[in-house]
Amino acid sequence: MEATLFYILALVTLVGTGFAITARQAVRAIVYLVNSFFALALIFYLLGAPLVAAFEVIIYAGAIMVLFLFVIMMLDLGHPERMKSPRLVDWIPALVLVLVTAASVGVLAAQHHAQPLAAFHGISVRQFSQTLFQRYGVAVELVSLQLLFALVGAIYLGRRR
Amino acid sequence: MTTYLSLMLLIPLLGGVLNALVGRNLPRRLAESLACAAVWGSFVCAVLAALAYRDPEKVVVATWFQAFDLALPLSFYLDPLSLSLCLMIGFVCGLIHLYSVFYMASEADYARFFALLNLFVFAMLTLVLAENLVLLYLGWEGVGFCSYLLIGFWYTEKENADAGRKAFITTRIGDTALMVALAWLFQLFGTLSITQVNGMGFLVPAGIVTALGLLMLAGAIGKSAQLPLMVWLPDAMAGPTPVSAMIHAATMVTAGVYLLARMYPLIGASIVTTSAIAVVGGLTAFYGASCALAQRDLKRVLAFSTISQIGYMMLGVGAGAITAATFHLLVHAFFKALLFLGAGCVITAMHHEQDIFRMGGLRRTLPVTFWCFLAGAACLAGLPLTGGFFSKDSILSALWIKGTPLSEALYFLGLLTALITAFYSFRMVYLVFFGSNAHPHVHHVKSDILAMELILIPLALLGLFGGILDLPGYLGGGFLGSFFGSLNGAHPVEPSHTEELALQGIAGTLAIAGVFVAHVRYGGAARENRLQESLLKPAPLVAFLFNGWYFDALYQALLIRPYQALSRVLWQQVDEGVINRGLDGLANGVGSTGSWLGRWTTGQVAVYLLSFAAGGALLLGYLAWRSL
Amino acid sequence: MTIPLFHVLILAALLFAMGLACTIAWRANVIMMLIGIEIMLNAVMLTLVGGSSQWGMADGQIFSLMLMALTSSEVSLALAMVVYLHRRRQSVDTDDFNSMKG
Repeated sequence: MEATLFYILALVTLVGTGFAITARQAVRAIVYLVNSFFALALIFYLLGAPLVAAFEVIIYAGAIMVLFLFVIMMLDLGHPERMKSPRLVDWIPALVLVLVTAASVGVLAAQHHAQPLAAFHGISVRQFSQTLFQRYGVAVELVSLQLLFALVGAIYLGRRR
Repeated sequence: MTTYLSLMLLIPLLGGVLNALVGRNLPRRLAESLACAAVWGSFVCAVLAALAYRDPEKVVVATWFQAFDLALPLSFYLDPLSLSLCLMIGFVCGLIHLYSVFYMASEADYARFFALLNLFVFAMLTLVLAENLVLLYLGWEGVGFCSYLLIGFWYTEKENADAGRKAFITTRIGDTALMVALAWLFQLFGTLSITQVNGMGFLVPAGIVTALGLLMLAGAIGKSAQLPLMVWLPDAMAGPTPVSAMIHAATMVTAGVYLLARMYPLIGASIVTTSAIAVVGGLTAFYGASCALAQRDLKRVLAFSTISQIGYMMLGVGAGAITAATFHLLVHAFFKALLFLGAGCVITAMHHEQDIFRMGGLRRTLPVTFWCFLAGAACLAGLPLTGGFFSKDSILSALWIKGTPLSEALYFLGLLTALITAFYSFRMVYLVFFGSNAHPHVHHVKSDILAMELILIPLALLGLFGGILDLPGYLGGGFLGSFFGSLNGAHPVEPSHTEELALQGIAGTLAIAGVFVAHVRYGGAARENRLQESLLKPAPLVAFLFNGWYFDALYQALLIRPYQALSRVLWQQVDEGVINRGLDGLANGVGSTGSWLGRWTTGQVAVYLLSFAAGGALLLGYLAWRSL
Repeated sequence: MTIPLFHVLILAALLFAMGLACTIAWRANVIMMLIGIEIMLNAVMLTLVGGSSQWGMADGQIFSLMLMALTSSEVSLALAMVVYLHRRRQSVDTDDFNSMKG
């Protein structure tokens, strides 16, 4: 049951992403991507990470993608006819790279036999939080500092002179 | 004793270093007195050491360095040989320092000069006192280095700098041989202590002892300017005269003789080695004397006479007469310093004219110099009852007593050389001091020269009465002989009194005969004829002798030319053609490759990203391929 | 739980490749480039979460949380820069900005 769900969600994610990266309009790309990220959040949940799934929805699909939308609208980039979209030639190196990567992964995959997870350990929120604040306290502080710096930097870059 | 020995070395070192570092900023008088005080202080230490001396003594001051089984302590060895040499060096060098103060009065770069003189003394004392062969080698190289700098003291003229280089490179040939000998000794015995090595000679086969002896002889040949490495000494006259006095009398050239005397207990066991030493000495003595016959430059005459006299010392070592060789070394130091310093007075008075055919009449202008120089010449000629007579005769009689055909042949060669020596010494005296006054303007004598002349007097006395140091047996026996009695191998068979008297009679007669011939040829009216002759083109034989048997030309043709040609090929073909061009090509290739690759940095983010991704893909592909 | 880690990894690899392709292909629009980067980061997060559930350790999830924080600061700075550059050149085409040409 869970496995079926996983494969369906994986398909949704891949298709959504595929549409997102080939969309002619940036706004459409964002919407496809939000869709794909929802599916990804569900996958996270399936993998026993409810907290990460929640953050995925809140931060990625909610905040970051909205930020993108804001910028697109602020800069008035929503007109596909004024934007250059990649020609077919531009896709060639990308496709080559993707093929190489995919082939490598395929080669690696061929040697590896899928083994189901032996025993699933769901990670409770309590366990997650304990690890986060006890073992990685310093990292939390550093990340908060980093967010502060990003804030200052963004304000500095964005102010009008 | 440790204190005396350390101070004896440290004081000149300190003086030299002080003069080298701050001498320029000191008042001239202070720098000069510092240098003189350093050497005299060292001499006082030597005297105190001599007063306290009882038995040969080995003193370890400190550990120099130690690694694995190589232990090199800073150790000194005081025995009659080193003690007498130290006293001589301190005294003669002290006088030369005093003399230099006046001789170099107009030299601007006095600090460098005195610093080097002090270092020279330090290096020589290190060489003499060292108990350790590596320490000895340090002093050996130090002496060579200081002599290089001092010979080329007036380095702004190319000739002087070349002379310095010649001295350095020529002696280096011998030094290399000595270095090989040291390494071999260490490999054989595991120690480089002179006393230990000397006592272990019987442990190794005779052939090895011979080879070691020959290597050391090669070192001594380089340092002591013996055949065939003697070419540097005449050119070393390019340095200031006090330097010449120091190189010839007290330091440097006697180092080779000292080394052989010091190592005699080891190398004396080999007949081949001692014969080689004797033959080299004898031939060199004859060579130097014959060349001195034809020289025109006052200092070159003295230089060739030094070569010749050092040859006598080698002859003495070769005959096994260490006492006699040391005796001659000491007396020679006194009278050769005297002759050089006298020559310095003459040259100063003649305003740096060195050609003896342009001198004359100085007997009246410089009376003190004349009498002292005469005393020195008498010692050099070996006139009876002078110090030089006794010392030279003790070497010759040792040769005669030894009684092998070789030593007898060398004895006759030595006698012939003695005759020539007497002749050229008085040729020099007659040309320089007698006759009419060639330079009428040399009348006023500066006070500096008077002070310099005063310094000659103690040396003249020591030279004349140096014979007292080691009187022959029939006059009650010598002080040195009994003093050196403890030295291994120092005592050859004592000649009987009558035999000794006869030998000395022959030598004395020959010396007087030489002086007489010189008088006939150069004295009185004949002197003018010789002056006239000197203006003509010299006879082939004279030219041959004048140019030192053309050894310089021979080396030029045999060694220097091919070497230069080889260097030119290496420089123009190999270095410029192959190495330079190759490097240039490489650099150009790298440069153009760089600028070609530089076009990659277009400044467009997309290109960078693509490159980065391609690199990542390559890595991934490689990993996948590896895991196949 | 019957999802093999291996399949999770394959999904992550495909997502990553698509993000990469997006970043490389959309050189004319810096916004789409940034979107490609987001896709790649999500693929990485998927890997981390998959590993975390495979070995039952919270570290992978924590790392993906950190990654999210990092991404948000990165995106805020990057978008601020896009606004800044657009103000100067009226363009979001990355080929127009080549002042770093060597």
